Amino acid sequence: MLEINQLAAGYGEKEVLHNISFLFEGGQNYCILGPNGCGKTTLIRAMAGLIPFKGSVLINGQPLDKMKRREIAKHIAVLSQINDLYFPYSVYDTVMMGRYQHQKSRLFTTSSVQDAQMVEQCLEMVDLTNERDTLINELSGGQRQRVFLAQVLAQDPKIILLDEPSNHLDVRFQIELIEHLKAWSQNSHRIVISVFHDINLALHLTDNVLYMKEGKIPRSGKFSEVTDRPFLHWLYEADLKDYMLSSLALWKEVPDALSQPL
Amino acid sequence: MKLRLHKKYKLWLLITVFVALILGLTLGSVGFAPKELFSIVSHKLFGASLNDTIKPIHVSILWTIRFPRALMAFLVGACLAASGTVMQSVLRNPLASSYTLGVSSGASLLAAFVIVSGFSIPMIGRYTLPLMGFLGGLGTVFLAIAISVRFSKTLENHTIILVGMVLSLFVNALLTVITSLSHERLSHLVFWQMGSFQGQTWTNISITSPVLLFGLAVFFYYSREMDLMTFGEEQALSSGVDAPKVKFVLLTVSALLTGISVSFVGIIGFIDLIAPHIVRRFFGSNHRMVVPLSALLGGGFMVVCDLVSRTIISPQELPIGAVTALIGAPFFAYLYFHKGNKHA
Repeated sequence: MLEINQLAAGYGEKEVLHNISFLFEGGQNYCILGPNGCGKTTLIRAMAGLIPFKGSVLINGQPLDKMKRREIAKHIAVLSQINDLYFPYSVYDTVMMGRYQHQKSRLFTTSSVQDAQMVEQCLEMVDLTNERDTLINELSGGQRQRVFLAQVLAQDPKIILLDEPSNHLDVRFQIELIEHLKAWSQNSHRIVISVFHDINLALHLTDNVLYMKEGKIPRSGKFSEVTDRPFLHWLYEADLKDYMLSSLALWKEVPDALSQPL
Repeated sequence: MKLRLHKKYKLWLLITVFVALILGLTLGSVGFAPKELFSIVSHKLFGASLNDTIKPIHVSILWTIRFPRALMAFLVGACLAASGTVMQSVLRNPLASSYTLGVSSGASLLAAFVIVSGFSIPMIGRYTLPLMGFLGGLGTVFLAIAISVRFSKTLENHTIILVGMVLSLFVNALLTVITSLSHERLSHLVFWQMGSFQGQTWTNISITSPVLLFGLAVFFYYSREMDLMTFGEEQALSSGVDAPKVKFVLLTVSALLTGISVSFVGIIGFIDLIAPHIVRRFFGSNHRMVVPLSALLGGGFMVVCDLVSRTIISPQELPIGAVTALIGAPFFAYLYFHKGNKHA
């Protein structure tokens, strides 16, 4: 369980998040939607303790700001955009780095059998077993994204925070990513919180949505209960076209579409 | 392209460094055959009797001049290369070094003060200059970190680099002022800044080697943290690394290694830049591998550069800083850009 209370955060003098409160429950997936600059990424960073914040973030009742970094990493993993790779590592080594907070020995012991098994499983999940020795700077953007997803999964956290995880992924891997995340959270009662730009894609992951605008959460809940076309127009300040809202049509405005034969 | 950690490259590196050390010890104005070298070393270390052909003056030259010089070249090269590796990784900047944070400027400023004023600490005498150089270098890095913390509590890389460069320029300007006001000591000051391994002693080695070992141990201890930090501050934090603390420790120890080097031999650039790049090219980026191998390569390379600097226009010496760049730049370009030599 992840609980945020009166969470405020920003950069320098500028406050981006304004006193947000929310309760994320175990075994559930959540997606955060909203226009550019509304504070989605800032919310992810604050919840992971990557930036200073006011208010509280509680993981199973424990305040995040009282925990050490290694302890936080056992609970929360973040998949963010990594564009600058100055020094390349092999795919295997990169995924193994996800096991950092589980490895106690600091000097001469190499990774445990359990670490190696976990890394192999994660490589298999993202279909990169055959690329294990490839340097990550030689991979495509999509493959790299999968490497870092595998690293996050290898971290074996209770909560995964993803900032636009489908970037660079083609359709096949977008679908696979979402299926992995769904299975991962539901099988082990964990939490996935993702920032998406694509509403349709987000809804394939979950119907638990948090809409953000100007650093606040004006609406949250089940997609079908809190979403309507006028609200989305207000949120994005745009006249959204039908094809951009195909999921909306499926979920709410044309409910029968779900039961129609293909 | 697949990454392969070539064991044969490691072996070649070890052999090359060993050969470099032997050449550094045996070649010079007085040459020694390997057999003579072995005899003198056995005599000094184990009390074995000397070959009849070896004169006492040869023992003295090898043991009190050549050995300290070659070993000091190795230690300084190793210190600079290890320090450069860590600075590049921690600051995520392939061009970063301790010099980026103002080590050389700070060391030069206090060294200039000692040279110009004739200031001497009674208890340590001729070690006043290296001590002040060391304090100046380390002090500048501490100042750069202290100022950076005021702007960025998490010690963000771009803040540290910018503060370091601004501070470095400021200290350089002070140095220029001192230099321009002290014509009679100008040559001494310039000579110190160019770097040299002349006049090294066993005492210098006994001070430098534990510092190098300490630095390498700290780097080895934090090698996994460094791996994660190359992906960025946030990635390291979210993986469980206390990035600001680790960064502070690593920057400080890197500055310590560079500071001790600068204090004894003056300012020598380039090795801290190229050694890590060459090692990463052949052995990958894992810091458990890169740091010790960079130190080994840097040490061996410095021994060769020192050999060239003292023999090529003998009896005159070329400034070691110029030699490292003159040999290192084309060597680096060849290794780095020559397609046939890519490691994978």
